[in-house]
Amino acid sequence: MTLASASVSRTRATGASVRLAILLFVADPQWLVPSTIAPIVFGLVSFELFRGEGPYFLTYAILGAGMMSMWGQTLYGSGWATGQDRFLGTLEPTIQAPAPYLYVVLGRIIWNVVAGLFGGLIVYLVVVIAAGGPPQLPNPLLFVVLFVFVMVTLASVGVVFAAAFVYSRYAGFIQNVGEFAFYIGTGCMFPVVLLPFWTNPIALLFPPTWALDALRYVSIPGYTGFAWGWGWDLFGAVAVTAVYAAVAGTVFDRVERHVLESGQLSDY
Amino acid sequence: MDDEWAIEVKDLVRVFESRKGFFFSEKTRTEALKGVQLVVRRGAIFGLLGPNGAGKTTLTKILSTLLLPTSGSVRVLGHDVVEEATWLRSRIGLVLGGERGLYNRINARENLRYFADLYGIPTDERNRRITEVLERVDLTWAADRRVEEYSRGMKQKLHIARGILHRPEILFLDEPTIGLDPKSARETRKLVRSLVADGVTIFLTTHYMFEAEELCPQVAVLSKGRIVANDTMAGLRSRVGGDRTIEVEAYGLEDREVAPLRNLPGVSKVAGEEFGPLLRLTIRIRTDETTPEQVRDLLPGHPELMVRERRTSLEDVYLDLVEEEAR
Repeated sequence: MTLASASVSRTRATGASVRLAILLFVADPQWLVPSTIAPIVFGLVSFELFRGEGPYFLTYAILGAGMMSMWGQTLYGSGWATGQDRFLGTLEPTIQAPAPYLYVVLGRIIWNVVAGLFGGLIVYLVVVIAAGGPPQLPNPLLFVVLFVFVMVTLASVGVVFAAAFVYSRYAGFIQNVGEFAFYIGTGCMFPVVLLPFWTNPIALLFPPTWALDALRYVSIPGYTGFAWGWGWDLFGAVAVTAVYAAVAGTVFDRVERHVLESGQLSDY
Repeated sequence: MDDEWAIEVKDLVRVFESRKGFFFSEKTRTEALKGVQLVVRRGAIFGLLGPNGAGKTTLTKILSTLLLPTSGSVRVLGHDVVEEATWLRSRIGLVLGGERGLYNRINARENLRYFADLYGIPTDERNRRITEVLERVDLTWAADRRVEEYSRGMKQKLHIARGILHRPEILFLDEPTIGLDPKSARETRKLVRSLVADGVTIFLTTHYMFEAEELCPQVAVLSKGRIVANDTMAGLRSRVGGDRTIEVEAYGLEDREVAPLRNLPGVSKVAGEEFGPLLRLTIRIRTDETTPEQVRDLLPGHPELMVRERRTSLEDVYLDLVEEEAR
């Protein structure tokens, strides 16, 4: 038995989902904490942590805290949105609609990435204000390109996390336990090469690890990461992201089948 | 494919398996539907009755592609609910109702717009369609208010508006009037009738017998996962022993006094229910021969005797069938 293919436009489903996510974001003041206040705290902590650590400490501070706030918003937000659909009982009518659910989730994630970017911007401003000036960037254009790619890698992990939330109402447990381990494991705050060696293979399973390492290569002269330069990192990030995208595509069909079999769509 | 039927269900079985406990988990298996057979004609209102836990919602969710059957064949509008789920989803509407299922922090119009997009309603028609359904459920005045400010009845109306937004060919209504005040419930029933006039097939589950009696030419009773009756109202009345019912209430009635009532012409069933010292007899009659006066004459010595005649209701039928099934 296979579920039939979608008849509603994927773009329309994604667009509707982005729109809804924005409306819910604006309507719910609690999001001010992760999207505004948390990045300010991350930025100040990071600034103090790396202060005086060489000429590029500002870049370190911004990348570390910026990634933390973007990672939190993207990942936590993506899972939370699906969890919230369970809580509100809107998961059933959403899945019952003919739009492909993967693209509904994608819409939520796109918005979360944008909201995460907003957090990253706040971190940047906080650190720049605290330091009294912007950091030096040897290759700003490449930095921007890689930065966009970092967002894509975050989104790819977000899709897989969201699938877990559709699959089971207990997915929040994994997210709560894993959130800070992921922060450190993917090298958000510290490069993964500073972590014990046994953690590195695990860290490499996450696309943001590669993308962030590439970003450090291009923005911090003399940086030594786990690859042989940003090109290798980019290659690794593309490869792992492609795997995540492929997994998400097939996982969502299976997840949908599982929840239709188990009858737990309305459980919270 | 038979165009006559909106719903065709053959040998439908649905089993739920769950685990209790974490370390030493215990597997439990519940058979919610046990070989259900059912057909519903296109363009009709079909009523499904049953006690709590009978499997009504499970059946509704399977028919509306929200749950997979364990075995059996289920076709809606001539299409398989598993193989052709996405095709079906754009042609069926589902109203599960209740407090949940809506985005409470945004307004009704935005809720409907989101689902209009998920159902692929043409963008140039979208706003007109939203206005139309809001008018139809009488929510235009509150369309721009947050749903969290809505009463239960208003939420129910919004559920219905969402269910009909994409103009489905078949609408599944799971207890649509539960929790509504009498006026709202009456308006909902009126809406259901108008949808049928538009050619929509309605599959309605309800606990309210009068509602099913008022709306549904055909009714099925689901009990313990099985369809125990599926007929027109006349057919169901005849099945439980007649169109007429005489009710008798008296104190201290004895069995020897009740026995002659069974021999009255046309009497198919005499059932008693005790309320302390008060005995209430329900006499089901197939013909016009036996009258309340004849019953009264057979029970002398009970000055407080109360005898009244009424038409056998769907509630009588339902209770008889469910009790029969429980035995």
